[in-house]
Amino acid sequence: MKLLTDPAALRTEADALARTLPRLYLRAQASEAVHLGSAGRRRAGSGEQFWQYRRYTQEDATTRIDWRRSAKGDTLFVRETELETARSVHMWLDPHPGFDWTGDPGRQTKAARARILLMAMAKLLSREGERVGVLGGSPAGFGKRALERFCTQVSSPLGETPLPPRHAGTVLVASDFYDSAEDWRPRLSPLAAKARSGILLAISDPVETGFPFSGRVRLSRPGTTVRRILGRAETVQDTYLEKLAENRAALKTLAATLGWRLVTHDTGETPLAGAARLHAVLSEIGKGP
Amino acid sequence: MSLGPFLFGAPFALLMLIALPVIWWVLRATPPMPREADLPSLRLLDGVDPREETPVRTPWWIVLLRLLAAAAAIIGLAQPVYAPGAATGTGDDGPLLIVVDDGWTSAARWPDLIEAASASLDTATRDTAIHLLTTAPRTLPFDPAERSSRQDMTRRLASLEPNPWAPDRANALARLDAAALSPARIFWASDGLDEASGAPFAAALAARAPLTIFAAPPRGPAAITGLTADATGALVTLARADSGDGTSHFVSALSRDGTAIATATALFQPASRTTGARFDVPPAALARADRFRVTGAQGAGTVWLWDTAARRQRVSLVSDGEAAQPLLSDLHYVRRALEPHVILDEGSLPDLIAAEPDAIVLTDVGEIPPEDLQPLTEWVEAGGALIRFAGPRLAAQGDDLTPTPLRRASRSIGGALAWDEPQALDRFPTWSPFSGLAVPEDVRVRQQVLAQPVADLDERTWARLKDGSPLVTAAPLGAGTLVLFHVTAGPDWSDLPYSGVFVDMLRRAIAAGQGRVTADAEGLYVPQAVLDGFGRLVQPSDAAAPLATGDFATVTLSETHPPGFYQGPAGTRALNAGAGYRPVPITSWPPSATLLGDAKARSFPLAGALIAFALVLLALDLLVALATSGRLPRLAPARSAASLAILCLASLMLAPADMAAQPVADEANAALNLRFGYVRTGVSEVDTRAEQGLAGLTQVLALRTSVLPDPPEPLDLETDPLELYPLIYFAVPEGAAPLSDTAITRLNAYLRTGGALVIDTRNGATVGSDNTLSGLETLLEGLDTPALAPVPDNHVLTRSYYLIDDFPGRYSGRRLWIEAPAASPESRRGDGVSRIFVGDADWVSAWASDERGRALYAVDGGKQQRELAIRFGVNLVMYVLTGNYKEDQVHLPALLERLGENDPDRGPPEDLFGDPLEDPDAFPGEGGPIDLFGDPEPLP
Repeated sequence: MKLLTDPAALRTEADALARTLPRLYLRAQASEAVHLGSAGRRRAGSGEQFWQYRRYTQEDATTRIDWRRSAKGDTLFVRETELETARSVHMWLDPHPGFDWTGDPGRQTKAARARILLMAMAKLLSREGERVGVLGGSPAGFGKRALERFCTQVSSPLGETPLPPRHAGTVLVASDFYDSAEDWRPRLSPLAAKARSGILLAISDPVETGFPFSGRVRLSRPGTTVRRILGRAETVQDTYLEKLAENRAALKTLAATLGWRLVTHDTGETPLAGAARLHAVLSEIGKGP
Repeated sequence: MSLGPFLFGAPFALLMLIALPVIWWVLRATPPMPREADLPSLRLLDGVDPREETPVRTPWWIVLLRLLAAAAAIIGLAQPVYAPGAATGTGDDGPLLIVVDDGWTSAARWPDLIEAASASLDTATRDTAIHLLTTAPRTLPFDPAERSSRQDMTRRLASLEPNPWAPDRANALARLDAAALSPARIFWASDGLDEASGAPFAAALAARAPLTIFAAPPRGPAAITGLTADATGALVTLARADSGDGTSHFVSALSRDGTAIATATALFQPASRTTGARFDVPPAALARADRFRVTGAQGAGTVWLWDTAARRQRVSLVSDGEAAQPLLSDLHYVRRALEPHVILDEGSLPDLIAAEPDAIVLTDVGEIPPEDLQPLTEWVEAGGALIRFAGPRLAAQGDDLTPTPLRRASRSIGGALAWDEPQALDRFPTWSPFSGLAVPEDVRVRQQVLAQPVADLDERTWARLKDGSPLVTAAPLGAGTLVLFHVTAGPDWSDLPYSGVFVDMLRRAIAAGQGRVTADAEGLYVPQAVLDGFGRLVQPSDAAAPLATGDFATVTLSETHPPGFYQGPAGTRALNAGAGYRPVPITSWPPSATLLGDAKARSFPLAGALIAFALVLLALDLLVALATSGRLPRLAPARSAASLAILCLASLMLAPADMAAQPVADEANAALNLRFGYVRTGVSEVDTRAEQGLAGLTQVLALRTSVLPDPPEPLDLETDPLELYPLIYFAVPEGAAPLSDTAITRLNAYLRTGGALVIDTRNGATVGSDNTLSGLETLLEGLDTPALAPVPDNHVLTRSYYLIDDFPGRYSGRRLWIEAPAASPESRRGDGVSRIFVGDADWVSAWASDERGRALYAVDGGKQQRELAIRFGVNLVMYVLTGNYKEDQVHLPALLERLGENDPDRGPPEDLFGDPLEDPDAFPGEGGPIDLFGDPEPLP
């Protein structure tokens, strides 16, 4: 497999991925109507599109009477337009060097895979009129230009810590989450205060999930100076896997306490598998209580 | 220090072997290099303590590898030497005397001797005093008293070389006595030959100190002891030292420049010490040899120098061309006459003069090329005999190198129109060297060149005809002689070559010339090239001195008189190292001496090999370490790069081959396809015309005849292969410079081998004369042409394809000159076909046409004349290609006319073919045969 790493190639792959997925509707919640947008909510509200005429009631201002309709009969009518709202989805990508890493030169790095998934989701959401943006970047926006801006920003290095969004919305945080849940909680709490719904996308490499080392190995963590020499690596494998499972469980608990969802993906899988999982979870957001 | 057969130069280095167990322990304790790996999730293992941190141990075979490398390096640093002969050394530290036989007898096994002497040094320590004594006498001998260190002695031994003279052991012993040396040990590297001097020498040495001897007598032939040459070849005698099994060897005869001329086998019978190698080679071939050498042997004794004093007269025949019909050539008769008596040599004149023969024979060479004339004259003046024969060319165009001035014509005696009869030989004059030879009665001379009457012609005449005209004249020139036979060397002009007297006359003429050999009187011979000890010819050293003639038989070879060639008044004489030598191996050795065999007299230093072994092991270890830590790069890219490089190299090597093949293909093409050539004159207008003209003629030929030539080619007379072109057209530009000597020589060779040359001066516009050939003589000076004449009537040229009576080109009414027909059919050459055509009618302009056949240039007489010019061109090509084939047809009209007389109205038929034609009406037409060729002419 030819490995493509430049942003344009990733973008192409993301577009292809987006085409294979069905349309993505975020479930609307009336309480979230904070932004005007093009997403018709199938009820009367502030918007551009005509929704219905209804009889004039006392509390309506006289300026709202639609005289053109009213002139056809004796009854006064008020013209109502459909309520249109748009949801903002803010995304973030871990810039840690350990995240932009792969255990096999023939495999995509975790960060590249995350970019593909994020861009595919952004494209799907943008197509449905949602706002997409990058945490710490420019504000979420509509349309093609916003999507392009999103793709550019997500391809370039981001801040160390995700900054809370300016407006409420959904948050999507992609990382490998190998730091402990206690480390992550203070970083995610400000986000959770702004965004009631969110997704943690945990991406891992097969090497990290399998620990295929044996003999005398010196392990180092990319981006840090941490080194460890293991005299016989095979003896540590079980312990490692245990620790990994604990880490994932803790992460799930963290997500639950924030009211968010956890999606895991392995770069050994196809991108479509991860994208489908994300799609399903995104579609369900807002469905809950 | 010695340990069995092993000697150690630095024995203390062996102490380091104690360190080996330490190294082993360290290696065991040090874990192998860990593998490096990245793991971002390493954080997960924070706080985890591995249960077992004990590393994997280094594999046992890596430990073994490293220990072996260490051991090999340590032993190598101790400088071990394997010397099986060393055990016999006494090991004390007294002075060591090394005696080396360095005469020519040692040369055959010189490396063995030096190796044995060097090996004896290994038994000495660094401080041992070592002395050297060589047995071959020198004017400045090594002083045996001079002590040197082991290192210096190694170098001195390596720089020793065998001398080309024999050792003198008594003298060496005297020098040893004079040095007042008392060695503790003596080592003698001996050639093992000459019992008479060797045995006492060994005894004397053994009396002084413990003696070790390495004797290496030559295994093959020791020397060439003599050579006898006779008329049928040469016999080389060889001698060998051992009288063992029968062996066979090869002896080569080498020329001065070292090329092998002949090889003969020498077979030693079992138990025989001498044999001979017989060269069954014609003396003429063997004459070029100047030394004989036993193949594969080295040494001054196995080379035999052959001097000129032992040789026979050498006569050179000048043979440019003439190879077309070798059995008809004049040289053939000369060659057959002289072959049994002298050593013959053939070639071109400059080469032959350089070879300095006793005599040179020139047959009918009209004009000697100017650049050869000077050296030839000098050679004659230095004492050579130049013998020339007359012939048509000499008669037409002679030079000054003749004994007497000649008339510019030949005299034909006894032709159809002459009154006189062919002449017989008169008695030889008394002053002639031929005097005493029997005069053959049946020899007749039909044609000769005549000498101009000068005052002393009579004295210069060695033989004359009955009517008194000279047949052989001679005159001295400097120390040499010029001899001219006024007839051809072949039977064209006379019967003389058929006669036995011809052989005697030639031999006496050569003897009269005598070449350079003078009487072998008193005189000094100076060394010219001498042999070195290995039998190579080198420049004589300063010590080599001249040798008197009388001393050659008695001289003893030495530094002042080394073997080699000596130049003197009577040519060169050779002094040979092995002359009369009898190799006698030394058998009676003193009982106290230790004799070393071949195997024991050697030593092998092992240090280098051991350290190299250690390095190889370490390199292996490095590879293994790289492989286990995963750092060995993949081999695939390297391999593809290597194959790419090989491809590039291969293409580079192939490319020049393709380029070189190009001109060869052109020549092959020119040889396979008929085409005409024209001389590239450098004047582009003329060259263009010549090319267009020949191209037009080529088209016409393809249209009208079965001759299908390829397009014409421009030729450079000095470089291009002329012999590939049947016809060469030379359109002479105005004011052309004379042709170079090279071009003239090549043109001469071209014409002699049957080429045809058309020379067109293109000056035909001149009114008033029918020929303008001015300037041709300077242009073609040296071109070997017989007399020219205008084309006679009814020449084949007028009938070879079309019937024509004029040869017009752009100008008409011009005259065409060809070789004058010979006086008699017997004396003409090349079947009487002219090889040269000279005119000025500018034919190429008339022939010239473009590729569609349209004429390019105006012609004086219009369309009609152009057609006639083209017809002449066709005739010319037919004549060149078919020779005199159509000549027979010339008489056909006459034959047919006579056949026509068979008609009853005209009288009785002449019985032409033996029986009359049965049906005269077989010819259509009225009253006679059809007039096929225009005006018939009567049969002569």
